[in-house]
Amino acid sequence: MTEKKKERINIHEYLAEFDDIPGTRVFTAQRARKGYWLNQFAMSLMKEENRQKFKEDNAAYLEDWNLTDAQKKAVLARDYNAMIDEGGNVYFLSKLFSADGQSFQKAAGSMTGMTEQEYAEMMIAGGRSPEGVRSKKGGY
Amino acid sequence: MARVTTGITSSHIPALGAALQTGTSQNEYWGPVFKGYQPIMDWIYGDDNMPDVIVLVYNDHATAFDMNVIPTFSIGCAEKFEPADEGWGPRPVPDVIGHPDLAWHIAQSLILDDFDMCIFNDMKVDHGCTVPLSMIFGEPDEWPCKVIPFPVNVVTYPPPSGARCFALGDSIKAAVESFPEDLNVHVWGTGGMSHQLQGPRAGLINKEFDLNFIDKLINDPETLSKMPHIEYLRESGSEGIELVMWLIMRGALGDKVKDLYTFYHIPASNTALGALLLQPEDIAKEPLDPRVVHSGHSLEPAE
Repeated sequence: MTEKKKERINIHEYLAEFDDIPGTRVFTAQRARKGYWLNQFAMSLMKEENRQKFKEDNAAYLEDWNLTDAQKKAVLARDYNAMIDEGGNVYFLSKLFSADGQSFQKAAGSMTGMTEQEYAEMMIAGGRSPEGVRSKKGGY
Repeated sequence: MARVTTGITSSHIPALGAALQTGTSQNEYWGPVFKGYQPIMDWIYGDDNMPDVIVLVYNDHATAFDMNVIPTFSIGCAEKFEPADEGWGPRPVPDVIGHPDLAWHIAQSLILDDFDMCIFNDMKVDHGCTVPLSMIFGEPDEWPCKVIPFPVNVVTYPPPSGARCFALGDSIKAAVESFPEDLNVHVWGTGGMSHQLQGPRAGLINKEFDLNFIDKLINDPETLSKMPHIEYLRESGSEGIELVMWLIMRGALGDKVKDLYTFYHIPASNTALGALLLQPEDIAKEPLDPRVVHSGHSLEPAE
């Protein structure tokens, strides 16, 4: 083999950089593994009959999905930040807030600590500036 | 022979579909967005511009693919694809009618060209695929052309690199050009622009990044394709990574393109929205007038 080896990305550096972004949890394999059942539960709400069962009794429905106590608690509280901490992914979780009749904007806004109104006004005013929230270490 | 004549990019956020469904597409909030798309709709319905087939690059949002199957690049080869029920009932839009001959031809060609594709037949399509169709074609009883759904994983990390997406576009171009039938083929890249839908940083919008991305996509896509994922994440939000899919569209248009139309708007729900109409320079038609439209917060009016 005389051919020059291709330049490879260092996977450890690649993954470590994600933790440097403020207020952001990138959906890595580690999170995907942790949240497998939470996300699969959310997927089940794409079927009308499952939505009905879930609406009738949230807690009873969750018993069938192999969730951890922390995951169950987060779902019952509709705490989307906690669900993401527990491995949830927002596109999967969108089945949950859609089943609740909630918009993407309301759900996303609920994770920011702002009121729905404040969040909507921030978006109309041009959204959240990237200034200062690109990097924890770099502070830019 | 078949030829990739046009590249279009479009946002695919579900709120756009909801605006059509609830009859609010002309209100104060959504009106400027639909007005910004109108020139693309007028163009595509006029003057022989209607494609025979669209290769529609989008990401599935935990709809057809759950955590069991996570294909990086896939292609829909079936006769038709029904709109999925994403939690609020299926979007009331026509079925997407495929082009199995061309889709299988592209799939085979891509694999021979070292892109190891996943091939799907029984697959429902979500808003990622159908919202761009609604934005460009309005609300017809049937979509006016065939569509080959081309889902890309940008949800579970790592998604494909920009460089890989750009190279894939080039291979799609070659695949289309080796199809014997005379077809007008579009490649659409959807998603974006800057947005973050999760966590305390949700709501991030980066106008400078987006406008620079559009400029580089048109004029220097090769340099743009080398941008690492971390830069998309930091600068354009965790869901801004969808923009790698625009590089597939751009790769399919060849070296030089002419930008016929650019629309950019802030905000559409949680996102900054971009819609472009591009053609390979050697066959490009006249740019639209106006050629650039910016609307929404803190944007200069159109040139």
